[in-house]
Amino acid sequence: MKRIFLLFIFTACAFQLFAQEREVTGIITGINDNNPLPGVNIVVEGTSIGTITDINGSYSITISSDDVTLIFSSIGYLTEKIKVGQQAKIDVSLITDIQSLNEIVVVGYGTQSKRSVTGSVASVKSDQFEDRSNSNVMQSLAGQLPGVKITQSQGAPGSSPIIKIRGSSSITAGTSPLYVIDGLPMENFNLNNINPQDIESVEILKDASSAAIYGSRGANGVVIITTKMGKPGETTVSVNYEYGIQEVTRKVDMMDAQQFIDYYITAHNNAWIAEGGNASDPNDLRPGQYQIPEDFINDPGQFGTGTDWQDVLFRVAPSHKLQLSVTGGTDKTQFLISGGYLDQDAVVDNNYYKRLSMRINLKHRINDKLLIGGNLALTNITDRTDGTNGKVDVVSLALQNDPIFPVYNENGNLGFKDPNSEWYRFAAYNDLQLWHPYSMTREIIKENKALNNIGTAFLEYDILKDLKFRSSLNGNLYNINFNSYQNALRKYGYSDAKPAEASTSSSNMINWLTENTLNYEKQFSDHSIKALIGITAQKQRDEYSRLSSNNFPNDLVHTLNAGTANSGLSSASEWSMLSYLARANYGYMDKYFLTGTVRRDGSSRFGGNNKWGTFPSVSAAWLISDEDFTQDIAFMSYMKFKASYGLTGNNQIPNYGAIGLLGSSTSLSNAINLTNDGANYAFGTDIANGLFVTTIANPDLKWEKTAQFNIGLETGMFSNRLLLGAEYYNSITNDLLLYLPVPDITGFSSQLTNIGKLRNRGFEFFLTSHNIDRKFKWTTGFNFSLNRNKVLELGPDEAPIIFSEWNVSVKTEIGEPISNFYGYQFDGVYNSLTELAASPHLETAIPGDPIVRDVNEDGIISDLDKTILGNSQPDFISGLTNTFSYEGFEFSFLLQASVGGEIANQQWRYDGRWNGGRNLYADVADYWKSESEPGDGIHFKPTINNNAFQSEFSNLWVEDATYLRVKNIRLSYSLPEKLLSRVKIKATRLYVNIENAFLFTKYSGFDPENSSYNATTYSATGRYDSGTSVGVGDTYNGITSSSALPTGAMLGVDFGAYPVPRVITFGVNIDF
Amino acid sequence: MKINKIVAISFICLMAIACGDDFLDLAPVSNSNATNFYQTQADFELAANAAYATLYTSYGPDCGASYCAEQMSDNGTMYHVAGNVADRWAFKDYTLMPSNSIVYQFWQQYYNSLFTINIVLDKIEEADLDATFKEDVKAEMKFLRALNYFNMVQIWGELPLVTKPITAKESYDILRSPVSEVYNLIIQDLQDAIAILPLASNVSAPGKVSKGAAQTLLGKVYLTQGDEASAAQILRVVYDSDEYGLVTGYADLWALGNKNTVESIFEIQFIGGAGNPYSVYYPTFAPFENFSFTAASGGMNMVTDDLYDEYETGDIRRDISIDTGYTNASDEFVPIKFPQKWVDTTVVYGSEYCDNNFMVLRYADLLLLLAEATGEPAYLNEVRDRVGLPAFGNAGYPSDLYPTLDLAIEHERRVELALEFHRWFDLKRTGRAVELLSAKGKDVTEQKLLLPIPEKVRQQNSAITQNNGYN
Repeated sequence: MKRIFLLFIFTACAFQLFAQEREVTGIITGINDNNPLPGVNIVVEGTSIGTITDINGSYSITISSDDVTLIFSSIGYLTEKIKVGQQAKIDVSLITDIQSLNEIVVVGYGTQSKRSVTGSVASVKSDQFEDRSNSNVMQSLAGQLPGVKITQSQGAPGSSPIIKIRGSSSITAGTSPLYVIDGLPMENFNLNNINPQDIESVEILKDASSAAIYGSRGANGVVIITTKMGKPGETTVSVNYEYGIQEVTRKVDMMDAQQFIDYYITAHNNAWIAEGGNASDPNDLRPGQYQIPEDFINDPGQFGTGTDWQDVLFRVAPSHKLQLSVTGGTDKTQFLISGGYLDQDAVVDNNYYKRLSMRINLKHRINDKLLIGGNLALTNITDRTDGTNGKVDVVSLALQNDPIFPVYNENGNLGFKDPNSEWYRFAAYNDLQLWHPYSMTREIIKENKALNNIGTAFLEYDILKDLKFRSSLNGNLYNINFNSYQNALRKYGYSDAKPAEASTSSSNMINWLTENTLNYEKQFSDHSIKALIGITAQKQRDEYSRLSSNNFPNDLVHTLNAGTANSGLSSASEWSMLSYLARANYGYMDKYFLTGTVRRDGSSRFGGNNKWGTFPSVSAAWLISDEDFTQDIAFMSYMKFKASYGLTGNNQIPNYGAIGLLGSSTSLSNAINLTNDGANYAFGTDIANGLFVTTIANPDLKWEKTAQFNIGLETGMFSNRLLLGAEYYNSITNDLLLYLPVPDITGFSSQLTNIGKLRNRGFEFFLTSHNIDRKFKWTTGFNFSLNRNKVLELGPDEAPIIFSEWNVSVKTEIGEPISNFYGYQFDGVYNSLTELAASPHLETAIPGDPIVRDVNEDGIISDLDKTILGNSQPDFISGLTNTFSYEGFEFSFLLQASVGGEIANQQWRYDGRWNGGRNLYADVADYWKSESEPGDGIHFKPTINNNAFQSEFSNLWVEDATYLRVKNIRLSYSLPEKLLSRVKIKATRLYVNIENAFLFTKYSGFDPENSSYNATTYSATGRYDSGTSVGVGDTYNGITSSSALPTGAMLGVDFGAYPVPRVITFGVNIDF
Repeated sequence: MKINKIVAISFICLMAIACGDDFLDLAPVSNSNATNFYQTQADFELAANAAYATLYTSYGPDCGASYCAEQMSDNGTMYHVAGNVADRWAFKDYTLMPSNSIVYQFWQQYYNSLFTINIVLDKIEEADLDATFKEDVKAEMKFLRALNYFNMVQIWGELPLVTKPITAKESYDILRSPVSEVYNLIIQDLQDAIAILPLASNVSAPGKVSKGAAQTLLGKVYLTQGDEASAAQILRVVYDSDEYGLVTGYADLWALGNKNTVESIFEIQFIGGAGNPYSVYYPTFAPFENFSFTAASGGMNMVTDDLYDEYETGDIRRDISIDTGYTNASDEFVPIKFPQKWVDTTVVYGSEYCDNNFMVLRYADLLLLLAEATGEPAYLNEVRDRVGLPAFGNAGYPSDLYPTLDLAIEHERRVELALEFHRWFDLKRTGRAVELLSAKGKDVTEQKLLLPIPEKVRQQNSAITQNNGYN
């Protein structure tokens, strides 16, 4: 290498010796409009001799021989190379560069030109999401980026999407990417706290080589958010207003009152007959549970079709958004000041989401050497959100309520448990159900108030010409308060008439980070070198407290002082991290690139024996299109090959996962009704304090390590009018952090250990085509990604890991993807005794019962016949965007598809079969009646005494999750500049934006993206995400490590998740 | 410029030094941790108290003893309950399957309790503490361990025997031991405990295990094994100790605040009120969604007519033990029979933090066990005499119904100890369960008198065997 280098210098000198100098002049224009281009760089190839064009686009340059080549380059245009030969005047029309290779990409602790990027980085600039109405910028990127799966599992305003970059690299630890907000790395950051209008770019580091600079936190990928900054020159004031309406467009088809009554009567009679009774027996001959309301038998017509509780719960909801920003600056000082207010009603009754956000970004150059700057953003979110807590919340309950009841009873109360109402006659029947939506949305007063402050201060000092020192301090302060008051009796609308109760909770988080880096950047003729070393320290502390009161004398005062405080707690938790990092980039001739990165992280979360981990990576890229031998391929304008290999980690486990903790309540889940499982005992009248061991210590606990290999090819054709890219990756995660189910005889159900191995490999493809690029423009963007996930090793005994929650089981076993749905296969219903006798069956089975497949063919139906019923991971996902523009008009639509993969409809537990008198799906009405009326062959003979298998998780709960969605439609019109210049307005744009316009799917629930389980998170900040979970339970995520169910393992299970509404917004944007 | 450089570089060095490994050593803020615990006497008191507190789950109203003794016998039934109805229903219907979540819950509760007990026994060996204190704590722990294993062996038969804290790895090698080995451990533990424990009159605080408690339990264990002679001998020691007697009024036994009476041999202690270790027998055994006298209501262990009718005419114990209904919010009477022994009328609706203790062993139980072990009706008659019923063999005794002493004891235990988690275990001990319960319509077989080993347990370790009759 050195020899080549010397030779090169020698050759360069040799040229100089034989020089014959003369002038070349010309004019440079843009090819589209033929306007002259000022500021175009003209360089004699292989030398440092160069000039730029003046305001008229003209230039003049001295050359030393006819043999030289001139390079014409300008940002936003394709670089042209022209051999001078005999020419004295060279005019060039530069072609607009649709895909600029000089575009700057943020890569973590620095930037790179797109050309020199060696890893897998997706970069999205603000113009790609600025008109979208989402409050979280990631929502706007769904369907647009290959390898990045963005799923909106709950549709409530402010609900963050679940993001998975290149599959799931973990079973038990968290799977969310690391967020880096203007340099501050945060796990489980709620991006709703950053107003999308303030965001300049979003970069997603997908492969291990680019994420390795974030070391132990990079395994799930990294999302880098960079906020805007003003530019030197004129000050711009930008005003934006949007009005929106939201609506639930797909309802779940439920039984009406008549269907329900028919089912209710049949289920009671069938069960009573099975006990030896007759269908004609009146109530006084039947035990309580077999009794049927007289009204059902004598006058079912009085109920009509009844109440559709989804209509009661959901509404068409408006939203308003006003935003203002001022940007500008001088050569020395640049700034951005912005503010925004979002006032959004939710589609669920009485729910809302309000966000006030303010930001100041400032940068000032003190002198040639010293630059200082700072960002400060404040966000206040006030919301009331119901419906996201799955089975016990309003959305699920709306599907459980019996249709026979009216919205209001004759007293203006909500329910039939009102002793003074005529409806009270139904209260004697324990199997009639009503959890009135209003009893939760109107009779409980509650609100979340969250305040997020995020700030950065930095200084940059040029120690030498090429050596820069940077020091920064970042901080994130977060505070959320939740208050609730439950009115006494809730107008009898809830299943039990609960007394008044109030609670308040508060969470505080402080996170600080200090970083010190040295940056070296040097160009030696054809060699470019960039080097970075740094040291960072970060620490977070979370505090949580909760207090509740009961015994309120009346509903007049809602604060806790009015009642008697009956429980309270406070707790705190911390983590810290210390890191050293280094990176070197080497470029040769601007076409060969090499990057090496290493980060060494120490974390408080890990065991004493494994506090430190090292994460190296290496990557390379080759601009094939810059080689001489490719110059003759006329249609190919650009081609780049890249490859990388690196190691990243996943540290998303509880803060004290390595330490055996003592506590005052047992780690047992409270599956049983009423228990007192505290550690304190009583001796006589004295309380005797006690302490239990709640988790087992594991001093060897360490990070998960993911090794990823990535290879990619990008190519541009026909002057980059067609851009194609493809990447393949193979990643292996070792030392999986598993809450390994351990035999219960240890006293515990699970222990956090590093065992197991997992592979994700996949393929990504994208295409951008400027189909028509004249006055009328048509651009198509397409992306496709598939990921295959396979477990290679598991714990001792290689035993599969099964997580179960309310009947639904997911099984993870060697050779299979994570979290297969696991249950019984039902092959229809037995239509006759002959059919029953012909196959293995349960002793108690009768015609009308499900045919349970004897999967293991042992002739017995048993637990061993459970089998794999599906998996939530799709075969592939894809997105297609088409944009059309003409004059000031622009129209675009985005299609999003997910193909293959299943969803487990856990709501089936309530609505697919008899369950305590809840309402049922409309198709259940086609149940088995008799041999001659077998119904649809799927739905069982109704009975109030389900045999155990009818209740078990089966293929009837699992549905195809394939869908095609028209994710977004946009139409905008920019007023002509000529018109506006008269009124001193720079630009005005009007637009209509439709999110979630149409959905095509076979799924019977609201949305196949729905899941009532969130990605696993152990960071306390994760709790604040939807704002609703705080105050629900007393366990505090940041503290205990005993939760056996990592919710992420249950992704793709829908227990009444919040539907994603269609949102239509109308907006106007004016720049002064 | 030079100075600036020096400042910058020293700043970096400073950062590196300031943030040593200490920065990463964070102790839990809100939890004690296991590494620095189990050293002082105070530590062991806390740990031992927690071991006592495991009784709250292992003997709570929603525990294995409760469900087996009452639901699986002819005493208890259910109509509606909160939570997983189907899995609870299976107890009374004898349709338990290995996947039953409640059976698994019981398994977890028992082994979690055993861990909390075993870790005290394990850690105290190495601790440098007063020898008497150590021996006392060990004796108490051994009694608690024996009590758990005795219930477990009756519920599941063969069991993995865990006698110290074990790692996940070690646990795979611990398979089910024969029933005889389980009993050997129980007997050994109880004998060790008896040697150390003080008499009831000398216990350091009300509720602490006494010698008499260990002896009574050992007597019951012997009897369960069919060793009547050993049972009679040890039970007689308790009888002769003059430490215990019958409370005069049967109703007084259940009066709120009447705790740790002369009749009490081993009693689980509670203190009512929020934040205290309160009891939940009352709401759990209240009819489901009654919304009149309790807001929380479990609907467990509703009383069968069969038990209600078992009482002889004039037996005051019936109306003391069983409530026959309640008045609902709209002043209507809802007829439903449910337990009345653990009523706490002082609780506020919606805050059922009750004050009732729970007697695991009491003198009437001991008397009836003695009658069973010795064949002497005199002990039985002491129990009947308290409630003014004619003695066995005397005029007025319903000898047509209970002609033999065995049947008389069976009857007497049922009515005297009704709903106190005895019935099913009694019937199993006397070998009467299948005959008697199937006659009353239960779908019971000899095999079904053992619960299934939970499916999850066998998924965790496939070498664990299943009980016969379950797949």
